[in-house]
Amino acid sequence: MASASGRQFRAILRKDIVMELRTKEMLMSMGLYALLTMVVYFVALSQAGSEFDPRTIAAGLLWLAFIFTSLLGLNRSLVHEKDQGCLEALLLSPVDRPVIFFAKVVGNLTFLLIVEALTIPVFAFLFLQGHALESGAFSLVPLVMVAGSIGISGIGTLLATMSVNTSGKDFVLAMLFIPLVYPLLLGAVTATNAAIVGGPDAMMVFWQGMAWVAGYDVVMLLASYGLYEFIVGA
Amino acid sequence: MKSANTRAMVALVIGAVLTLAAFIGTFFWAAVPDYGTVSQPKYSFSARHPEAIDERLAHDYIGNRVGYEVEVVTDEGTVTGTLVAAEPKEGSGDGADAVMLATVATASGEQTIEVTKDDEVTAQIYNYGKPDWGQKIFYFHVPIAEISFIVFAVAAYFSVRFIMTRKREYDTKSRIAMELTMTFVALTMATGILWTKAAWGVWWQWEPRLTTYFIMTLLVVAYFVLRNSVEDEERRALYAAAFSILAFIDAPISFFITRLIPSTHPVIESGGLQPPMLITFIIAQIGMLFVGYAIYRLRMGEMELRDRIERAKTELEG
Repeated sequence: MASASGRQFRAILRKDIVMELRTKEMLMSMGLYALLTMVVYFVALSQAGSEFDPRTIAAGLLWLAFIFTSLLGLNRSLVHEKDQGCLEALLLSPVDRPVIFFAKVVGNLTFLLIVEALTIPVFAFLFLQGHALESGAFSLVPLVMVAGSIGISGIGTLLATMSVNTSGKDFVLAMLFIPLVYPLLLGAVTATNAAIVGGPDAMMVFWQGMAWVAGYDVVMLLASYGLYEFIVGA
Repeated sequence: MKSANTRAMVALVIGAVLTLAAFIGTFFWAAVPDYGTVSQPKYSFSARHPEAIDERLAHDYIGNRVGYEVEVVTDEGTVTGTLVAAEPKEGSGDGADAVMLATVATASGEQTIEVTKDDEVTAQIYNYGKPDWGQKIFYFHVPIAEISFIVFAVAAYFSVRFIMTRKREYDTKSRIAMELTMTFVALTMATGILWTKAAWGVWWQWEPRLTTYFIMTLLVVAYFVLRNSVEDEERRALYAAAFSILAFIDAPISFFITRLIPSTHPVIESGGLQPPMLITFIIAQIGMLFVGYAIYRLRMGEMELRDRIERAKTELEG
């Protein structure tokens, strides 16, 4: 049974990745969207003057980009499933609902992480050049990125499954997703900021933020896992 | 059907009477807290930002200023620091030879000083200049806020019941509890914003309690956005139930956050209220609970009537 679940899990995940490799739609749209966000950031900061240190708000800007990119991606990933009738076929096949959930979560997480991993160097290249970074702590940013993205794709997959069946898809997803993900965002920005800016108790603040994010991940993944079965069948 | 409505009306009357009683108690019984003098500026953003003034303390009054910054001038010298304790010295009498033992925490450690009537003790106090009438909103703001958490919990409970049983009545109950949550959240926000302007000098501050409560407001709004954008009735009920369970996770965070991390939002400490204040507060709380229950019942009665009309219509058509 366990191996059957594993096989089903891999099959669904492979389907998502193969489809993405053929169309490259999600990665392209999310990546370009992140790049466009950088342009908007530049305009927003253009009048801040040379005294302004972008490091102080870098964590917030990064997570802002991540949140809006993930909204785009989550919506996409479920719209595909629905438009092409793939979700219905999955539900008809003898696959456990949790397997579908975790496969979708891991698929979304993979694409999100790829886009984020590309965004961070671009962001650093455009905004953080010439500003000294805590060399040791900056390498901890990917850790926050992964922990935060797990929560985002967990809760996001569940909410996107709901919003894809509503009349105002994108808007409803944003309306449900952003308030729910707020605690995670707060912890992630705190930890990222501690890693980028540093300071005397940066490590303590960092791990506090990480603990907050991890706690949120556990609670929300469990809740989403419990509720997905009812949502996807409705 | 009839009895349900009667019960609702009775609850409404009791709630109204209690709320009125609390209103009277608020203004004629419970004291206006004397913020004429407090030890520290309570809120960093206060409109009446206090100015530090020195209060010359009467000899037998020293004990009332424990925790304040004090300056004690005796024959032996001057000691400044935080007053830790002050008690009459045993066997010193209470006439002209009365002696107080004042323990002061100074930069170099605690020091106990014998204070006689001739010695000079000054405490640093902050003068707000007028009684704190803004505090009166506490008797309504806090009960309403607590009810908003309670009805949110009721909505989440009925959502769980709905998911377990798939009975339509639980969906209706959950939705009506959510409507009540919306009402009470809006009232809490309105009273709270008035108070923050009076006490902190700003309409809004991104402070842990206010932020998490604002997020809760958004979640309740999102619940209705979700409901309104799903066509299929069964699907709408399931989605709404699932979302209200997820959203309810924020309620305990918002409730306990003022006790977990530093926050400028005040909390009630046990024993912090004088009996008239406490009793008025409890009456207001019970009154609000009755009003909430009455609205819930009346809305449920309305829903039942609607159902009957629908059924009658189908029968007539069929």
